[in-house]
Amino acid sequence: MAKIWIRLKKTLLLRHINRLEYRVQFNESYLPIIKERFDQRTERKLERLRQKHQRMLLPLEIGTLDDDVYQDVMTTDKIQRLETAYDWKKRAVRQSHARAIKRNPDAKEAADAKRDTRLKQLDQTLDKKRKAILDKHQRHLDEDAIETNRASYKAKKAELDTEYQRLRTRLETKDEARFTFIRDKRMQKLEPLHQLLETKRAQLLKVLAEDPEAELLLDKLDEKDILKIEDLTMKFGGLKAVDDLSFTVKEGEIFGLIGPNGAGKTTVFNCITQFHKPNAGNLYYRNINREVVSLNSFKVHDVIKQGIVRTFQNVELIWELSILDNMLVGAHSLYKAGFFTQLLHLHKLKREEAVIHAKAIKILTDLDLILYKDLYPIGLPYGVLKRLELARTLMTQPNLIILDEPAAGLNDLETKSLADTLRKIRETYACTIFLVEHDMQLVMEVCDTICAINFGKKLAIGTASEIKQNKLVQEAYLGGE
Amino acid sequence: MKLENKVTRTIFTDIKQSSRLVVRHPYFGILLTGTLLLLLQVLGIAGVIRASTINLLTPVIIYYLVALGFTFLLGYAGLASLGTAGFVGLNAYVLAHVAGNLGWPAFTGVMIGLAISIIVGVVVGFISLRIEGMYLAIITLGIAEILVEIFRKFLAVTRGNAGFSLFRMRFLFWEFKQSDRFTFSYYIIIVVLVLVMIFLYNLIKSPTGRAMLAMKNSTSAAQAMGISLLKFRLLAFILATIVAGLGGSLYFMNKLVSHPSTWGLALTLNILAAVVIGGMKSMYGVMAGTFIVFAMNDLLLKRLPFFDNYPSAYLVINGMLIILVVMFYPGGIVRLFTDIKQLVMKGARKLKSSWKEYRYGKDMDPS
Repeated sequence: MAKIWIRLKKTLLLRHINRLEYRVQFNESYLPIIKERFDQRTERKLERLRQKHQRMLLPLEIGTLDDDVYQDVMTTDKIQRLETAYDWKKRAVRQSHARAIKRNPDAKEAADAKRDTRLKQLDQTLDKKRKAILDKHQRHLDEDAIETNRASYKAKKAELDTEYQRLRTRLETKDEARFTFIRDKRMQKLEPLHQLLETKRAQLLKVLAEDPEAELLLDKLDEKDILKIEDLTMKFGGLKAVDDLSFTVKEGEIFGLIGPNGAGKTTVFNCITQFHKPNAGNLYYRNINREVVSLNSFKVHDVIKQGIVRTFQNVELIWELSILDNMLVGAHSLYKAGFFTQLLHLHKLKREEAVIHAKAIKILTDLDLILYKDLYPIGLPYGVLKRLELARTLMTQPNLIILDEPAAGLNDLETKSLADTLRKIRETYACTIFLVEHDMQLVMEVCDTICAINFGKKLAIGTASEIKQNKLVQEAYLGGE
Repeated sequence: MKLENKVTRTIFTDIKQSSRLVVRHPYFGILLTGTLLLLLQVLGIAGVIRASTINLLTPVIIYYLVALGFTFLLGYAGLASLGTAGFVGLNAYVLAHVAGNLGWPAFTGVMIGLAISIIVGVVVGFISLRIEGMYLAIITLGIAEILVEIFRKFLAVTRGNAGFSLFRMRFLFWEFKQSDRFTFSYYIIIVVLVLVMIFLYNLIKSPTGRAMLAMKNSTSAAQAMGISLLKFRLLAFILATIVAGLGGSLYFMNKLVSHPSTWGLALTLNILAAVVIGGMKSMYGVMAGTFIVFAMNDLLLKRLPFFDNYPSAYLVINGMLIILVVMFYPGGIVRLFTDIKQLVMKGARKLKSSWKEYRYGKDMDPS
């Protein structure tokens, strides 16, 4: 009874803490979006004012021009348009002339004469029209009048400029004030949350101390380790795909699992992410709250909430959604909006979407995928799809990323860039990477620790050079004598 | 010499931009649909359209509503169900029983019907967790057939094969009579349709819709991303049955008649055909599909002498359309519209360029 009580208290506390953390994080990432929106609105308003000013200044500026310049400015465009139109007309005449000759070669002279007269007519009308335009835009102003116009234009312009500047400063100060107001209000709201979070965390620690199971679990895992696999066994019918396998993964390292085909590597992954429930053995894992859990007690779709995200051997993207929407699907577990919020598209959902959208854009830019943002995955190169799946795993800020053959189907260049990407991800996102790979060059280059297995049994574990020299591994790959 | 102040934006560009914003808003099309349908009734009352035409179109609108729910199930969640007509009929009979036999107000009948459809949705959703694909379709078909058999044999409630009909029914403030040429229920149907369209659109464009599509494309990826299959399959089925149930209630409200033969397999297959012909992921495509399957024969084809002589010939047309769409346009008729548009644009461009070549010669330099 006491056990159930403690467990209930623990789950409730965890839920509460999760919600509080979410609110804190949400506020932190939503503030820059508010700022950006304010800036955009200010820019729009200023642009509108500028255009209004230009509309006001245009007649004044025309007044400042000298007479010939005035004529030039007012007529250049019109005359150019007229001339191109007449060019086309002349071409039409020439073309019909060519057609007439082709039809009836004997009447060449008559056709020539006809063409010449028509071209002449066109030239005459063009000249007439041009002259009419030029005459229409003539003006005779005194030097003094122009001078006064110039002075008034200058004065008006200075006035409008100051108005523009005044609006700019006013809007900026207003925005600043509103933004600081909103920020302070939000921060004020958050302050008690921080305190509450502290107390809840302390309570959780206390509850965990009371919980005999948690203490037991805590002993299972070393302080530096993130994942410990203990005597894992997985049978499919009579076949033992994984047989008494055990190893540990340290926090912050890139861990490689290698082995010949059919060695049971993917099965290990499926056991960790609970796609298969293992027949025997324990999986201990240190989750986001730095609490040790046994993974066997979770459902498949709850594993991601503990901070484990995986990719698949053959790319499993959602083909009917665009790349950006695929990224948003990756963040599905972050959404807190309920069903009715989504049904009515309330403001809460829009804010959440804005935050996650910004995050997706940031990750896509980090991995040089922003180009493909609005495309659909069908038809994109395989290397891009693989990188995309990798990007999708980062959406939830995971603790542990599990990659199932990230280099399968990539060429040498892409594999090389993948190694850099993996290192970059580990540094910028502070997570542990656990991968299965056939490409030995990549594994040897990038992995800190390598574990080799064959027929579900562990052959060796160690650094790259140790694995290279291991007899058992060489035998497994190259065959015994 | 160039001027410093060149005006690029005028009031016309402003109007153009803002009107584009309005027209491109997703609700614009939905509200436009609703307005046009309301206009139909207004025209009918004014005497421009015959009452028989509107009486013929009303069930089609209800079938469109049901098809929308089915689209959500098939196109987004990827679950095949052949029980739609049975679920529609169930609610029609629930309303009939509550209003006709028990004499309660009709509104309670609708509410009870909705509660029952939620229960049915939950049951079928749980079944869908164990069984997928063809077998799920067969099981839902079985459920629907059982329901139809109940409509036939449970005489005390459903009045059997003769059909359940009422002469008048009170619904909140309005009284519906069977002899009405234009009933008020038409407006209720349109309002419900517009609301369902808006809600479905919102759901599709929110995490739920994306989760559904993820589930349809790859269950393992969906689970790895934290999408619970149980939750979303249940949700999809509940939504589909709720919309189907609403359709049933509205049908009885409008017609005040319900025959067991209406809710047979034929209706389910017709709705499936409408969704497949129209396009599984498009609201307007499904609208076109519903029109083709349910209304084209009576409104258009019967005017032709051939179809007047052979009234069943339209079935051949429907079958051929399904075959053609499945073979050449797996995306549905919506794709056809965009393709035709592209074709027309391309043809116009070609025509223009060839005319230019004829008039001005091959060399395109103006000299």
